[in-house]
Amino acid sequence: MLLQIDFKSGKPVYLQLVDQIRYAAASGGLRTGEPLPSIRPLAEELRVNRNTVAKAYAELENQGVIETIPGKGCFLRESNSPFTKSARAKILTKEIDEAVVAAHHLQVDRDAFLALVKERLDSFERKVKEKSDND
Amino acid sequence: MNTDSPIIEIQNLSRRYGKLDAVNGLSLTVRPGKCYGFFGRNGAGKTTTIKCLLNLLRPDSGSVRVFGLDPRKDEVAVKSRLAYVPDMVAFYPWMTVRDTLEYLASFRKHWNGEIEADLLKRFQLDPKQKASHLSKGQRTQLALIGAICPEPELLVLDEPTSGLDPIVRREFIETVIGAYQSSDPGRRTVFVSTHLISEFEGLIDEFTIIEQGRELLTMEADAARDRFRKIRARFAEMPKLNLTGALSVKTSGRELEILANGNSEQLLAELKTHSPEELRCESLSLEEIFVASDILKKAKG
Repeated sequence: MLLQIDFKSGKPVYLQLVDQIRYAAASGGLRTGEPLPSIRPLAEELRVNRNTVAKAYAELENQGVIETIPGKGCFLRESNSPFTKSARAKILTKEIDEAVVAAHHLQVDRDAFLALVKERLDSFERKVKEKSDND
Repeated sequence: MNTDSPIIEIQNLSRRYGKLDAVNGLSLTVRPGKCYGFFGRNGAGKTTTIKCLLNLLRPDSGSVRVFGLDPRKDEVAVKSRLAYVPDMVAFYPWMTVRDTLEYLASFRKHWNGEIEADLLKRFQLDPKQKASHLSKGQRTQLALIGAICPEPELLVLDEPTSGLDPIVRREFIETVIGAYQSSDPGRRTVFVSTHLISEFEGLIDEFTIIEQGRELLTMEADAARDRFRKIRARFAEMPKLNLTGALSVKTSGRELEILANGNSEQLLAELKTHSPEELRCESLSLEEIFVASDILKKAKG
């Protein structure tokens, strides 16, 4: 899992790390039981403040995506969504709304948008499958 | 001392050289565990401010507190808890690297020999080398080792990476992040003055831009990147736009570049009503915010 910071995105740096790690978890870049990089080397590599990485990990732990095993490090959790079904739907609705608004501005119509969503779902499933095939 | 009380507190500091106001009514507060950036052009008053923190200069007026203490009255107590790397480092030329480190360690209650060995290896410094034979990069590396091994609560860096090659600069910053912050990061505070802002971007929690001895802008880094944005738009035909509140507007033919100051949503909405062919919005980096500070000054009036 390689992480990258973009200071031009306007998103707080720790949230960029949170999003990228969640993305890696969803796309198979990080698998259950796999360790996350330790805070210090990751901070050095990205040249960001240690506290920023620690804050991102704390947030991921709060969200139930990762767990810290004392003395061993941080790991991706088995079922990494602690939210109820309705809460999950609510979070997702917000994200989908943003994509819908963007599609409107880019003049992408309903069918093309839905096709794109399907295509992305397939693509993620393929990635997860390829990763597990490579084991 | 309460753990949340400020590490550095400067109130209304002024220092003149003859008729020149080097620092003129500056105030700022640095909280523990933070990395605080102090940005300004050459001659803006950065080094004068730092020298007042270290009691190398006496303020004409205003107050300076470090760890809640007055550096003039409690100089030893203050200096024993901080380390300082200036832009021009000088060592006794007849001493070797090893002699220099032993000499520096002799002033300190605590010295982490493990970090010393690690960093000497990392920087490939030969302990037997004479200080007079070191390159500028190596002298800075030696100064950094001397500053980090006592594991001080406060690290004061004054233009530490200017004049160094990019690889040495990168290693310098990695060392500050890694070796300095490695234990007890809540009690490791960094105060760094620099104009090579982009290199320190990821490290900076909060910053002050100083201009002609006065504070121009103090903000948290994430909040600043959220507030200052650059919007670019291209239209089929340039419409009449209401862009009040934009910091600056540049137009070239059908293209438009706007600097937004916390009102990017409103400006984007206005632009969208005119169906732009292309519309992009990105945050300014801290360096771009610093460069745009002239515009800011005008906006402030």
